[in-house]
Amino acid sequence: MKKILIVDDAVTVRMYHRQLMESMGFEVTEAENGIEALEKGIGEDFDLFLVDVNMPKKDGYRLVEEMRQVPELQAIPVMMISTEEDDLDKQKAYMAGANFYIVKPAKPDEL
Amino acid sequence: MALKKTTEPQRIADQEKRHETRDYDGLVKELTAESINERRWAARDLAAYPQAVPVLLQALRDEQELVVQKAMLDALEAIGGEPVVTGLIPLLRSEQAALRNGVIEALASMPEAVALHIIELLNDQDSDVRIFAIDILQLLAHPDTPKWLLSVLKDETHINVVAAAVDRLAEVGTPEMVEEILSLKQRFPDEPYLHFAVDTAVQRIRGD
Amino acid sequence: MNHAAANAVGNKSEITDSEFVRFRDFFYRKTGIRFDDNKRYFVDKRLLDRMEKTNHESFRSYFTELRFQASGEELQQLINAMTVNETYFFREEYQLECMVESVLDEIVRLKGKNKTIRIWSIPSSTGEEPYSIALYLLEKWPMIDEVDVEIISSDIDTKVLERCRQGIYNERSVHNLPKDLLNRYFKPTSGGKFYQINQDLRESIDFTKVNLADPVQTRPYRDFDLIFCRNLLIYFDDASRRQAADVFFDALNPGGYIFLGHSESMSRISSLYKVRKFPKAISYQKPFV
Repeated sequence: MKKILIVDDAVTVRMYHRQLMESMGFEVTEAENGIEALEKGIGEDFDLFLVDVNMPKKDGYRLVEEMRQVPELQAIPVMMISTEEDDLDKQKAYMAGANFYIVKPAKPDEL
Repeated sequence: MALKKTTEPQRIADQEKRHETRDYDGLVKELTAESINERRWAARDLAAYPQAVPVLLQALRDEQELVVQKAMLDALEAIGGEPVVTGLIPLLRSEQAALRNGVIEALASMPEAVALHIIELLNDQDSDVRIFAIDILQLLAHPDTPKWLLSVLKDETHINVVAAAVDRLAEVGTPEMVEEILSLKQRFPDEPYLHFAVDTAVQRIRGD
Repeated sequence: MNHAAANAVGNKSEITDSEFVRFRDFFYRKTGIRFDDNKRYFVDKRLLDRMEKTNHESFRSYFTELRFQASGEELQQLINAMTVNETYFFREEYQLECMVESVLDEIVRLKGKNKTIRIWSIPSSTGEEPYSIALYLLEKWPMIDEVDVEIISSDIDTKVLERCRQGIYNERSVHNLPKDLLNRYFKPTSGGKFYQINQDLRESIDFTKVNLADPVQTRPYRDFDLIFCRNLLIYFDDASRRQAADVFFDALNPGGYIFLGHSESMSRISSLYKVRKFPKAISYQKPFV
């Protein structure tokens, strides 16, 4: 079963994406910020990280940057979600190492 | 046995010895020192000097190292009060996510001072700033939080701002707000996440 | 029972499902501890107990106090109630295993075998933790014969430090020790009801008094390679926790490691450290630059 890690500090966002992803057959794990995402994500064979940009303690960009430095996480695709719409942030996301970038809230078909 | 007990008294590193003789002016100078540690320690020690607020705010703007930024924010938070809050608020507009998040956390720890500014922030022109204000409310220990969140619902048109407020209300909303929250479904008919958040909030507020 | 009716009168004899999740998600955000549904009984019992102690008739009013109290005092009380804090030898053994199987080897790779490895165990409490570290090093670390290790263990309470130096323990404390270890390193005393750890070990650990909140006291603590600070920070408020994380950061050498308690995480404390996941445990590393 494919595994996805959802990283967002808003509980309803995590719940919503959990419902969505579980209905698509994913096994879902949640994390509240970037540090917790690394704790739960390293070495656990996730197929996708769904990452919010703005989180306390460690934001999405930093998380993705650090993920790309950890051997076990380098190859995992990352989809960043954010409330911000401008191109500067999309660029930042791709530079940090994200594979996709969508604007929150995620619509089902986008995922 | 290779478990060794130290016979020398705990030694104080030379750098640390220097610290103990620094005064305010010395500390301010070290805020822009070459070494990351020196800047960090200077920021930390300036927490004891309320007059350091302007110089800390200025240094914070220029500081690139995250660990030093954090130390400066911690010092400002320790000093606390109105000048810190008014000085930090503009940094919510920073391009750096890490700095913004640090500012949000720092502001969230000063409920009384932030209360004087929160309405203004919730009505900021920039929808991102409005969302950051709602992020502050997620952490803020102020009893007016539910009321402030409700006021967002009444006037807000940006979907992400509304959604953020509803997410917070799932935790702190009260029964008399249920109707207003439910009405969002009609106001924003084509937003599945928002509807989900509304349903979740209402269920938790009703408490059954 | 009709839940709606029960809630209408603020029934304080049970917590509803919605109340539970509201509480659970709040507690998770603050502490990183997430209670599964199978912990309902455990959680509900303690919530109701705190509600009674704080004179709240309903969960709603209790939660309001919990959520909006600026001092965070009730949250601290609640954390106390929700966490089990006991000490015994080889508690949270997986971290000791991680130490001898992964972390120490990395440290030796960094420092070379000629440099002494320095370990700080804080709080020492009654000594089970620092002595457990020592025992594990002696028994389970192949390189202990080649590399010197220094263990310093500290506590704020001098009475407890005295008990550490005496090293006398009851059955409960030693229950998790393999029999042969018990026989090799402890001597029965007081008619066999207690065990005293042998003198070599008692003399090998430096027990010191330290108040983590006092910068003057913590400043001399430097050049550590490994810190154990388990089940202490969870009882601190946010600001004290961050400050302690700062103290440990300065206490560690670059590349040094810290272990927190089983249900503790830097994710709720500080972003200074790098997350390192080893086969047996997660540890936090001070970055090199």
